[in-house]
Amino acid sequence: MPSPEVTSQGSSDASAVRYERATKRYEGSAEPAVDELDLEVAAGEVCVLVGPSGCGKTTAMRLVNRTVELSAGDVKIGGSSVRERDPARLRREIGYVIQQIGLFPHRTIAENVGTVPRLLGWGRERIDARSEELLELVGLEPELAGRYPAQLSGGQQQRVGVARALAADPPVMLMDEPFGAIDPINRERLQNEFLRLQAEIRKTVLFVTHDIDEAIKMGDRIAVMRRGGRVAQYATPAELLMDPADEFVEDFVGADRALKRLALMRVADIDLWEAPLAFVGQATAEVRAKLAGAEVPYPLLVDSERRPLGWLSERDLAAETVPARPDSPLGPLLDRDDVMRDALADLLQGEAQYAAVADREGRIAGVLSIEIISEFLGSPAAKAEERGAAERPR
Amino acid sequence: MSVAGPLASLPLAAAGEVGEGFFKERSSDTLPCQATDKLFCFDWAKENIGSFGTPTLQHLELVAISVAAGFAIAFALALLAHRRRWLQPPLLAATGVLYTVPSIAFFFLLLPITGLGRDSVIIALSAYTLQIIYRNTLAGLANVPDSVRDAARGMGLTERQILWRVELPLATPEIVAGLRIATVSTVAIATLAVLASGGGLGVKFYTGGNLTFLTSIVIAGAIAIAMALAFDVVLLGIQRLLTPWRRAASG
Repeated sequence: MPSPEVTSQGSSDASAVRYERATKRYEGSAEPAVDELDLEVAAGEVCVLVGPSGCGKTTAMRLVNRTVELSAGDVKIGGSSVRERDPARLRREIGYVIQQIGLFPHRTIAENVGTVPRLLGWGRERIDARSEELLELVGLEPELAGRYPAQLSGGQQQRVGVARALAADPPVMLMDEPFGAIDPINRERLQNEFLRLQAEIRKTVLFVTHDIDEAIKMGDRIAVMRRGGRVAQYATPAELLMDPADEFVEDFVGADRALKRLALMRVADIDLWEAPLAFVGQATAEVRAKLAGAEVPYPLLVDSERRPLGWLSERDLAAETVPARPDSPLGPLLDRDDVMRDALADLLQGEAQYAAVADREGRIAGVLSIEIISEFLGSPAAKAEERGAAERPR
Repeated sequence: MSVAGPLASLPLAAAGEVGEGFFKERSSDTLPCQATDKLFCFDWAKENIGSFGTPTLQHLELVAISVAAGFAIAFALALLAHRRRWLQPPLLAATGVLYTVPSIAFFFLLLPITGLGRDSVIIALSAYTLQIIYRNTLAGLANVPDSVRDAARGMGLTERQILWRVELPLATPEIVAGLRIATVSTVAIATLAVLASGGGLGVKFYTGGNLTFLTSIVIAGAIAIAMALAFDVVLLGIQRLLTPWRRAASG
């Protein structure tokens, strides 16, 4: 569903894409590349086609814009068959981003972005304005408009590739390993930017990748494909990780799928523990009383605004009142919006058993422990081991 | 002042051996150094430079028409072969055969059809340009990255739009490179046009039967070289104008 601000910009609505027994047979090969594929991609969703090489995912994607022609079956966009459309006209309504980017080397960045509007016969001023708007949207300096592709870095080039695909505001986008040729740091950045962009523009996206991590990150839904373009499982990333349909999917998703689930969650999504809180100047006897039966065996020193300061040790508690400077430093301080995987990394890196979690104002929201995470991951062995090793936090 | 060297056997040079008095008389005549083996006779050049005007213009015309005709044909053949792959080997062979026919033989083969004169020369010269222009145009089109073609198709350019808006602009450097080689070599080969009574600078190479005169050859040769260089510079300039992105990329 398009957000109101986007419709006010005159964006076209996203369209659902439906494969109906879509089949592609190549001459001279015994097995079809795509065999009676049934798949429905809801309007405004990112559907990732993922699978090993040769599984037919790219072929399946290309059936949508007829850069690969159907042998049998049909693909419908917004209910109407692609078979009935003139291929060139059809393609002008479908954004197309490929791994090799394929910018026109002889055209400036602005001209590249304006390719489809020009084909559609827009006026020069409207094209220029649209190019400018899109460059800004994908985070490129307006000065780049007059440059040629060879003068840009790979990451910048693919930003232009995405801008070019969005130029005529297509209801559907096809993206074939769009970030596959970009270095890892820039890839991550581009992925994040695209997710942010997609949250705004809400296109129907068919996204092809062989990288399950990318699929989990980018997809609203993931179609795991096996040879012949057969869908082994079509599910949300979380469903896929928690409940793989069969051995093939389990293998493909990987042994570390539990860890991958952490990448899908934020600290706020999990039940945190409560630490016994201690305030400066408070009687230690009071604090000791709180310790009994607490989930966290160490009192957390907070200031008057309940902002965490550090952990109190036995030595601290031996005094009459709670000291202003705790014996143990605070260690990692997490944010409720942190991704769980990063939170775990912080815990491990800080060699800490517990980490305080703060809310937006910096006030204590709870405590995350390795134990909570391992419980979440459902690994009893790990849990036992960690309980035995439980020591006072640093 | 005895005559020696490679010109010794030439009739004009030999005239010097008739007698000293006769020779002196001749040497003070209107062709003071024509009877010597000097590479360049300045006086003669000064007096006769005007006679090079017409051959130069004829030469220019021969080259321009031949290359233009050859380019039109080769370009069309290349586009055809680009679309229909199976045509590539036979067309390459055909233009290759034309390229290997010796030029003099070519003129005489054309005699019964087009007769002596400019037409035969232009046909032969055009035929020589085909191979290079055809090959370079095809190579240029083949060098267009598949990803660019794929993106163009995926964005909804028609086959014709892909050819004219993407492939040909990107093939321009190779096409112009072929045109440059073809033009420069045509300037050289066109000096043989005189053998088919086609005019051009060759007229100044082969004056009066097998009589040769070095100064005239030097001047005609210099004009031909200058013409070839001028064509080359102009074509290079055109290529630069047509491919601004190439300089931007390397700069």
